[in-house]
Amino acid sequence: MRSLLRVAIVFFLFTAFPKVHAQEVVVHSSVKQESISRNTLRAIFGMRHRKWPDGFPIKVFVLRDDASLHISFSKSILYIFPYQLRRAWDRQVYSGTGQAPNEVESIEEMRKKIADTPGAIGYLPLPENHENEVDTALRVLHVR
Amino acid sequence: MFVKGSRLITIISASCFLFLKSIVTPLYAFTWPETLQIYGFASQGFILTSDNRFFGNSEEGSFDFTELGLNASIRPLPDLQLSAQVLSRRAGEGDDGNPRLDYGLLDYNLISNQSGNLGFRLGRVKNPLGFYNDTRDVAFTRPSIILPQSIYFDRTRNLALSADGLQIHADQRTDFGDLFYQLGIVYPNVDDPKTTNVLILNQPGQVEGELSSIGRLIFEREGGRTRIGLSGALVNIRTESPTSSTRGTIRFRPLILSAQYNAEFWSLTSEYALRYLKYQDVAGFPNFSRTGESFYFQGTYRFFDKLEALLRYDVLYQDRNDRRGNKATGTDPKHSLFAKDWTVGLRWDITNAWMARIEYHYVDGTAWLSSLDNPFPSKTDRYWELFSILVSFRF
Repeated sequence: MRSLLRVAIVFFLFTAFPKVHAQEVVVHSSVKQESISRNTLRAIFGMRHRKWPDGFPIKVFVLRDDASLHISFSKSILYIFPYQLRRAWDRQVYSGTGQAPNEVESIEEMRKKIADTPGAIGYLPLPENHENEVDTALRVLHVR
Repeated sequence: MFVKGSRLITIISASCFLFLKSIVTPLYAFTWPETLQIYGFASQGFILTSDNRFFGNSEEGSFDFTELGLNASIRPLPDLQLSAQVLSRRAGEGDDGNPRLDYGLLDYNLISNQSGNLGFRLGRVKNPLGFYNDTRDVAFTRPSIILPQSIYFDRTRNLALSADGLQIHADQRTDFGDLFYQLGIVYPNVDDPKTTNVLILNQPGQVEGELSSIGRLIFEREGGRTRIGLSGALVNIRTESPTSSTRGTIRFRPLILSAQYNAEFWSLTSEYALRYLKYQDVAGFPNFSRTGESFYFQGTYRFFDKLEALLRYDVLYQDRNDRRGNKATGTDPKHSLFAKDWTVGLRWDITNAWMARIEYHYVDGTAWLSSLDNPFPSKTDRYWELFSILVSFRF
């Protein structure tokens, strides 16, 4: 009886407090590098750095500006605010000096697009022990 | 005119050559058509002034302020982009809505790696001046309905907008911050009737842009939290008159210092400009030179996610040695040589595609009013107010 109670408590704790999800930078499996500097990552999401070291074009995927994952990714990984990204994209798009990132509607679509697009980069919420759960078509890029 | 045309043909043929060279490179042959992007915007403004006219008959309330734009870009190679934008703008007597090529360029990166890029742009390129000139007609990218007129005056906007030529650009990423350089060798676009009117008033004759240069350096720290910029131009214009055998020259040398701090909920922006202007042997004008001075301080505060409030003080002196306008000549009142503008505004981002704005200006002086909308300077009022609403859509 006591052990049953313990199981119930453990079960309750697991369901009441969802697993910790950290957002991670995720790339298509074709991308060779293991890690990236924050500065380069900012240049990639700012649409200023456009190819991987092997010359393959980078395809950037983002959620909408007001998506909570986009906001937390901008702030805690890139260390900039979403409105700054939007301004940087607009400046380039409307002066002909750059392009906008590809916007996706949902996290699921983000996962699928990155998995299907060689050279793709984006971000996903992943459980702490994510290595096992990531699709074979996706890889996590560690930020230095 | 013919000279201009042949110059454009050279630019276009060089662009085509590089374009063809790029598309025969097989590596990305399968995917590059997918890089085509098309964006556009449409804005409609309403302007009401207590006195004086701004963008049409604003004393009665004017809807004569419309901006439409459509652009396309494609990236056949990671280092090559082709882009163009067509713009139509209606703004009082100054702009009649005729569509024109805002920019049309080929951008190629010669070097690009983790520490930065070095490349060039060829064709019609937006002029890099201050923080806002590059996208000044796109309401979403402006801090207000009407840009601070001391620096981004709409009177000579065609001169400021874009120019034909070559621009070298580089960005350099360091641990300390990012540097962005742009340097252009261009022919300014001045030969439209409106700009001609601003430059030589009603004098008969022609103006033509000569080889000019324009450059900007921006330093960004912490991904743009702090931004500092320095931009300047050496604009050379030649004038010809049927009544005079000597050619006149107009020299315009603006220098702009820009600074911005961006926090999560607020931004502070300030720009300061010195504008040196010199007329020599221009028919109907005495030889003169003067240095104008402009600056503004601007604060914006973002709240409730979708709202942004604006407060700005913007000052323009046509001659920094005559801030009260004592040297005004003829029928020009003293207040036509300065303008001090207090602005408050509110921006509402209704959705990602729709934006609405409301704005109020209290202005002392008329220095940046258009003489096309206000043909008689003596009939302008020194103290006036401007109220504006704007709705903008983009896709």
